Amino acid sequence: MSESKPKDSFSVSRRFFLKSFGASAAVAATAQVEAVAAELEKVNAEKVHGPGTVPVTLQVNGKPLKLDLEPRVTLLEALRNHSNLTGAKEVCDRGTCGACTVLLDDKPIYSCSKLAIDSQGAKITTVEGLAKDGKLSPIQQAFIDQDALMCGFCTPGFIMSVTALLKQNPRPTADQIKHACSGNLCRCGTYPRVLQAALKAAGAPIANNKTEVISYAKLA
Amino acid sequence: MPSWPEKREYIGSHAKRIDAPAKVTGAAKYPSDVQPEGWLYGMIYRSKWPKAKIVKIDLEKAKAVPGIKAAVFAPRFDQPDQTSRYYGEELAAIAGTTKQACLDALRLIQVEVKEMPFVVREEDAKEDTSPRVWDDQPNLSKPRLKENGDVDKAFSECDAVVEGFYTTPVQLHHPLETHGNTVSAGGDEITIWPSTQHVVGARNDLAGHLNVPQSKVHAICEFMGGGFGSKFGLGAEGGIAARLSQAAKAPVKLMLTRFDEALAVGNRPSSFQKIKLGAKSDGKLHAFELDSYGTAGYGSGGASGGGSASPDFPAPYIYKVPNTRVKQSTVVVNAGVARAFRAPGHPTASFGMESIMDELAVKMNIDPVELRIKNDPSEVRRKEYTVGAERFGWKEKYKKPGSSVGPVKTGIGCAGATWGGGGRGTKAEALVNPDGSFEIRCCTQDLGTGSKTVIALIAADLLGLKPEQITVKVGDTRYPPSGGSGGSTTTASVAPAIYDVCTKALAELQKQSGVEDARGANWAGACKKLGITPLTVNGQWQEGLSSSGAGGVQFAEVEVDTETGFTKVKKIVCVQDGGLIVSKLTCESQVNGGILMGIGYALYEERVMDKTSGVVLNPNFETYKLLGLSDAPEIDIVLLDMPERGVIGIGEPVTIPTAAAVANAVANALGVRVNSLPITPQRVLDAVGKLKNIVPAAAA
Amino acid sequence: MNSFSYVTATSPASAHELVGADGRYLAGGMDLLSEMKEYIAQPKVLVNIKSLPALNKIQPGDKSWTIGANVTIADLEDHAELKKVLPGIQQAASEVGSRQIRNFGTVGGNLAQHSRCWYYRHRDIHCLKKGGDMCYARHGDNRFHSLFTGNTCISPIVSNLAIAFGALDASVIVLKGGKEQKMTIDELYHEAWRNPEAHNSLEPGDLILRVEVPVQRTKSAYLQMSERSDFDWAIVSCAAAATVNGNKLNQARVVLGAVSNIPYQVEAANTFLEGKSLDEATTSKAADLLLEKAHVQPFNGYKIPITRALIHRTLMKLVA
Repeated sequence: MSESKPKDSFSVSRRFFLKSFGASAAVAATAQVEAVAAELEKVNAEKVHGPGTVPVTLQVNGKPLKLDLEPRVTLLEALRNHSNLTGAKEVCDRGTCGACTVLLDDKPIYSCSKLAIDSQGAKITTVEGLAKDGKLSPIQQAFIDQDALMCGFCTPGFIMSVTALLKQNPRPTADQIKHACSGNLCRCGTYPRVLQAALKAAGAPIANNKTEVISYAKLA
Repeated sequence: MPSWPEKREYIGSHAKRIDAPAKVTGAAKYPSDVQPEGWLYGMIYRSKWPKAKIVKIDLEKAKAVPGIKAAVFAPRFDQPDQTSRYYGEELAAIAGTTKQACLDALRLIQVEVKEMPFVVREEDAKEDTSPRVWDDQPNLSKPRLKENGDVDKAFSECDAVVEGFYTTPVQLHHPLETHGNTVSAGGDEITIWPSTQHVVGARNDLAGHLNVPQSKVHAICEFMGGGFGSKFGLGAEGGIAARLSQAAKAPVKLMLTRFDEALAVGNRPSSFQKIKLGAKSDGKLHAFELDSYGTAGYGSGGASGGGSASPDFPAPYIYKVPNTRVKQSTVVVNAGVARAFRAPGHPTASFGMESIMDELAVKMNIDPVELRIKNDPSEVRRKEYTVGAERFGWKEKYKKPGSSVGPVKTGIGCAGATWGGGGRGTKAEALVNPDGSFEIRCCTQDLGTGSKTVIALIAADLLGLKPEQITVKVGDTRYPPSGGSGGSTTTASVAPAIYDVCTKALAELQKQSGVEDARGANWAGACKKLGITPLTVNGQWQEGLSSSGAGGVQFAEVEVDTETGFTKVKKIVCVQDGGLIVSKLTCESQVNGGILMGIGYALYEERVMDKTSGVVLNPNFETYKLLGLSDAPEIDIVLLDMPERGVIGIGEPVTIPTAAAVANAVANALGVRVNSLPITPQRVLDAVGKLKNIVPAAAA
Repeated sequence: MNSFSYVTATSPASAHELVGADGRYLAGGMDLLSEMKEYIAQPKVLVNIKSLPALNKIQPGDKSWTIGANVTIADLEDHAELKKVLPGIQQAASEVGSRQIRNFGTVGGNLAQHSRCWYYRHRDIHCLKKGGDMCYARHGDNRFHSLFTGNTCISPIVSNLAIAFGALDASVIVLKGGKEQKMTIDELYHEAWRNPEAHNSLEPGDLILRVEVPVQRTKSAYLQMSERSDFDWAIVSCAAAATVNGNKLNQARVVLGAVSNIPYQVEAANTFLEGKSLDEATTSKAADLLLEKAHVQPFNGYKIPITRALIHRTLMKLVA
């Protein structure tokens, strides 16, 4: 989807540099080579990327996603516009609603407020990466069982927040769940059932569906 | 006369929402997710002026940005010297290969304007000295008058009279998926993926807009991220996306930003209600007078497309008072027009009416529930009050207003609702395959309300199958049509059509296969007898399976910290009637949703306009506050089972009385009423007298 | 956002060089990106400072704790020992935004963040703080705005941590012009009191390195009041810290947040509390002293009773 633009600069990886010396590099010279390699790595580390498109590699759901992006492209835009990972949603683009929540090294973040180029090297997990071999995660299943969704637009974000929470704290209280999910908004009104689903997935007891059905005909 | 089966296994059950797996895995593709080959990103340039003559728009610099493939004017603004009447009106748009190219191009659009005097707040607009939104008419309309009996005489006959002035804000729909469409209009066949509440309507609108036959336009909306009344009709952004797509000869995805959502895609009108209510000594209402105005934006609701968006509302709402005078006016301001918003008019009506009912109850020393039972003409609601009051513990919890001890005060309140919820007109198609797989196709919508699940559960019960065996396809104009999902009409409109098509499909299968009863265990065998040719059967809405008229009452318990003004809703009990509940699980979720939206209206939501600049000050979720998980109270639902009524929709009644019940609870807690929504900390502190000696210093 | 280039700095010195005149530091990026999306900020280069060595550590100490500028707010929230020794900071951290924000928001970013005034943040309003002629809030809807200001701008500070650090007499070490400079919280924000266009005393290129928090005050607490229960800016916040002997306070500090362009303290209130035991009369008098110079705008008078309530509750938390 993005236009291909000429690369802005050429970077030399440390491994490439060392390899280029070949197997015959003298052992005595290795120390000096290492020092130069370290210098080069430092120089590369401070390499200026952009403003045009540059190669960006994102580790998403265990697979590398290789893109050419301007530095100003957010992680959310990279997922939604530059690949087909549309599970994370754009709802506010301002870090106020949580629909774009993904995990970065198992921590939930707002992908709309993180640059893609600034997300390299981290393990990124999106909602598409939760099911293993077609089997839904216990949290995904709990959301289905408790009907913790309606239109579903906030759902991936909530699932990511709850997934991260239970990984960090497998037995959270209701208050801890609420605090962990305070950054996720829902307009349809699924909150009570999101809470139930999170408690259920955590193995905590939940009240049975308390809705009472009364036959009108039998009312006095 | 058709009738629902007596024995129901899935209808009325907690069988799961059938599209939940797609939603929890991210597999569900919403209109903002689809990525047709070669798609371009679209963006709208909006007016930055509350009122201005748009002399000239220059798109040349924008067009020159690398990656931009099309730049168009919004309709009307392809002519010079058009007047734009609100900050945020669509003026032009661009499409490009990346979002970034579009952002850059947008900033290069040059607009020459003549700024004009404007007014954005109702209290300013109604003054004679205010700048006029429309040159040829004052901002405040003449009142629309409705009278009954002799109200002046009746007031003199009353034993108790109360008066009050109540206000409600402009509320924004803010569906999580913004308004927008992906449109492919570059070729002969046109496809649109609209985020819409009416797929057929979007298709028809687009065909009309492009002046092409409707048969050439294909609309698809399998999932959508909420609408709440604001997504009927194509919308300006849809027409613009289509123009861009035609110009660029490529698909264009044009979704609004959250900022745009606060400006230009509808809202619930505000209200300023002066109410007078009188009763006889036995508590029977005798006289009612309402004088109100509100804004629906710069024009009337009709300009926005679909639904009732006038600031008018029914008064005296659910009560029948023999002597009434109702005067309602519209005040126009330079702001976006209103659109139908979940039970248009009713939450507003309920807030005013139920507030003054409680004032009367307090004045006459009558229990608020008893006063309502005495005056509510609906037998169903009277029973709901009785059932609900017991379940809520009303008698035990009720204290005289303001009598709870300590700075954190508790209080309770209640309110009632009425709505229609009937529907008709849906058509559906069923496919019975020789391998036993069964598919229903219907161009209805599922906004998250659960209509796909409703279809599956009905089919399952009528055919003796499991819901998992039913494939449900909705939201595609290649399927038989259905009406828009508004007015809580969907279930009542769709369910009878599904009943009909399944009944016909079963009959046809039995005829073709020779199997007398092809349901359940016999299904597979009967289908096999079809050989290689599947059956297709058409059905449509039938009389006798649905009706209209749902009510509902709600009770609220709140805690108000009178030192900080912080209000917390602790519990809501809802007693809701409907008809035959098809999907109990999704019905309960709708009740939760309506209640939570009502709490937002009560405590947090208001569109704030700036007097000086004419902009919306809170075009985001930071300062337009939706309630969060921690704000949600305990919700206790009682559903009245009334299957003899047939199917009735309940999506709207469940949001009507919530704010009124909460406001009444706050008044009961404080002993003094906050008459304006939202009930902010500032208003609470003011009501309890904590701002008495605080005087703003003279302006610096 | 405008077009920009991105570079990762490996040392504070090179970060300073890379940021130049047109650049901005990128830590969490929450505030920076939100300003850039409205084109309020349009830097030409973003310098990623998350890799700077040793800035992401929380170091307990007997006399003082050192908290690196790159420590995330979530790290503060989760730190068990911090919760015991410096609970005011932990409480302030737990109220910053949402978990998602706390996971990549940093201490430095939180301290340096810009105004949240809805006029300042509006893309089409050129207010005084942005170099325009007029403070729109003074003439408009100022329900969220300051009770105390030293200049015409009435946009209040929104950093929770600044308030909590202020009560603990913390120092902030800032790299200024190549040299490490130690600033009190007062000094870090003083420029905002004086200059309507300033959010704090940092100059372009200045880099917050760490915060040093003395532990001499044995008790600390932070409270805020917001419209929603969670994930909401404070309408008023309050931090207090003191050494508590029995029921008596020593070295007390009470700081108010979201009511002034700076973390607001009144020397007379701190002095008054010295050696006092806490009861309603004492906290009320402290509140009188703190609010003495309040200048109420047309729509923010309600902050006065809220401030009084928070002062009382926060102080009482110290002796709970």
